[in-house]
Amino acid sequence: MKMSDKENIKRLLKEAELYQGQGLLSEARSKYDEVSDLIRNNPKIKNKEKLLAGVAKKINLLEVDTQKVERGPSSPELSPKAQDLIQKLFSFSKEESEEEAALEGALALAKFGQFERALEEFNRLLSLEEHRVVAAKNILRCHIALNSEATAADRYEEWAKGDLFTEDQLETLRLFLEQVFENKGVDRKLTTVGGKAETEAVVESKPEKPEEEFIDISSIGIYLDSGPGKGKVVEFDVNFQSGNLLSLIISKKDGTMIEHLNVDNKLDDLQFYSPIAIFNGAGVVAAKSEIKSGPKQGDYCLDIKITST
Amino acid sequence: MAIFNLKKREIECKIVYYGPGRGGKTTNLEYIFKTFRKQITGEMVSINTEGDRTLFFDFLPMGLGKIKGCEIKVQLYTVPGQVQYSSTRKLVLRGVDGIVFVADSLEVRREKNMLSLKDLQSNLKEYGLNIFKVPLVLQYNKRDLGEQGIPVMSIEQMDHDMNRQLKVPSFPGSALKGDGVGVALKECMKLTLKSLQKELKWAQ
Repeated sequence: MKMSDKENIKRLLKEAELYQGQGLLSEARSKYDEVSDLIRNNPKIKNKEKLLAGVAKKINLLEVDTQKVERGPSSPELSPKAQDLIQKLFSFSKEESEEEAALEGALALAKFGQFERALEEFNRLLSLEEHRVVAAKNILRCHIALNSEATAADRYEEWAKGDLFTEDQLETLRLFLEQVFENKGVDRKLTTVGGKAETEAVVESKPEKPEEEFIDISSIGIYLDSGPGKGKVVEFDVNFQSGNLLSLIISKKDGTMIEHLNVDNKLDDLQFYSPIAIFNGAGVVAAKSEIKSGPKQGDYCLDIKITST
Repeated sequence: MAIFNLKKREIECKIVYYGPGRGGKTTNLEYIFKTFRKQITGEMVSINTEGDRTLFFDFLPMGLGKIKGCEIKVQLYTVPGQVQYSSTRKLVLRGVDGIVFVADSLEVRREKNMLSLKDLQSNLKEYGLNIFKVPLVLQYNKRDLGEQGIPVMSIEQMDHDMNRQLKVPSFPGSALKGDGVGVALKECMKLTLKSLQKELKWAQ
């Protein structure tokens, strides 16, 4: 076994152990895998089995750590003191409106997964006319989050029988809850009271799918896997961007660099330079054309659609 | 957004430590808590950590005393760095006045740094804030690991990756040893107060 291989294995093990100690578990795993590969593929190593068993033992221990993290509760129940602090710190409007602040505090509790406590707060907020519908919706949301669809439905029915809500408000709540049930595949019919749902609230009950945002990209690095520039990364400025579509103007003198790029070619190794960071991704050539007139005549226009980042 | 209590002549502002998971945000706060005792006005609270992984946030209140006739209170927060805690991270960022972005110098965390910076930008955008305008400093943490033979990125590379266009103050650091912790916080506070002075016009 060459000394350099031995040193390499030692170095990789040291890195793996440090990453593991820092909680960088996937990074540690990939270093242990590199060690295993090095040992396995080196014909000169004599005690291969023993070494591989040693690494496997380390990987097993790492797996235990990984599972602990993965199986750990994502929102454990906090102490009342911690819940109080959350409520206090995230009541942003406390200077302007106590009621608004109380709602923000309750919403924060729910967001941090403290559903039982949030339920208490939302129930209190039902007494405030201004926030009643929002509080009611969040009560239903908390029950759903606690996997208690039946309680959510019972709660609605209780409201439907009482006089806390107007008919229109009840219709809003019914549509909201039915939508949630539909999404979760729960088959439960709710009593209709004949009101007309409040438009705004109904819209709110169907959360809009956020438009996928693309960061502004100022230039792009393309890895060329064929043609005269094979193996090189060429960087071009982005002249125009519309969402995930980037348009580049490539000077005719660089034309040979892109002559092997054609429409629908997949580009698996792209580097995007944005004003705030560089990141890797993949794309596809969406269009390629030669500019036939004007000051840029003879230059190329290349459109690249980003498919993943 | 800072709270300016005109009656009490008191300003309360919020500085958030942001960055990839396991990058040293909590360690920064712990060092500040141990070292700047005079300015610390309460206990450091870690709202639930799983092992030593921040699930929710850490909180540390500080008082800077009177500046230009106003009592300045600063609340320091960390966000959970792990990708899956996106909604709590966003909530903690609400009302932020200044940010210390704690980047991990380990080569293997290069991509995570950039993704976290991208995440910061998009979360700020949702609150109507521009990453180019918000008071921001970068701390390149874990520099000490380079001395132990662990591959770390050069400062130049980190500047190129993350600060090429932002051009904000950046500091090498080792939160575990305390290097670069105070200086990054002080610079962030300076930028934050400057920006608040402009916004709230309290010192004019």
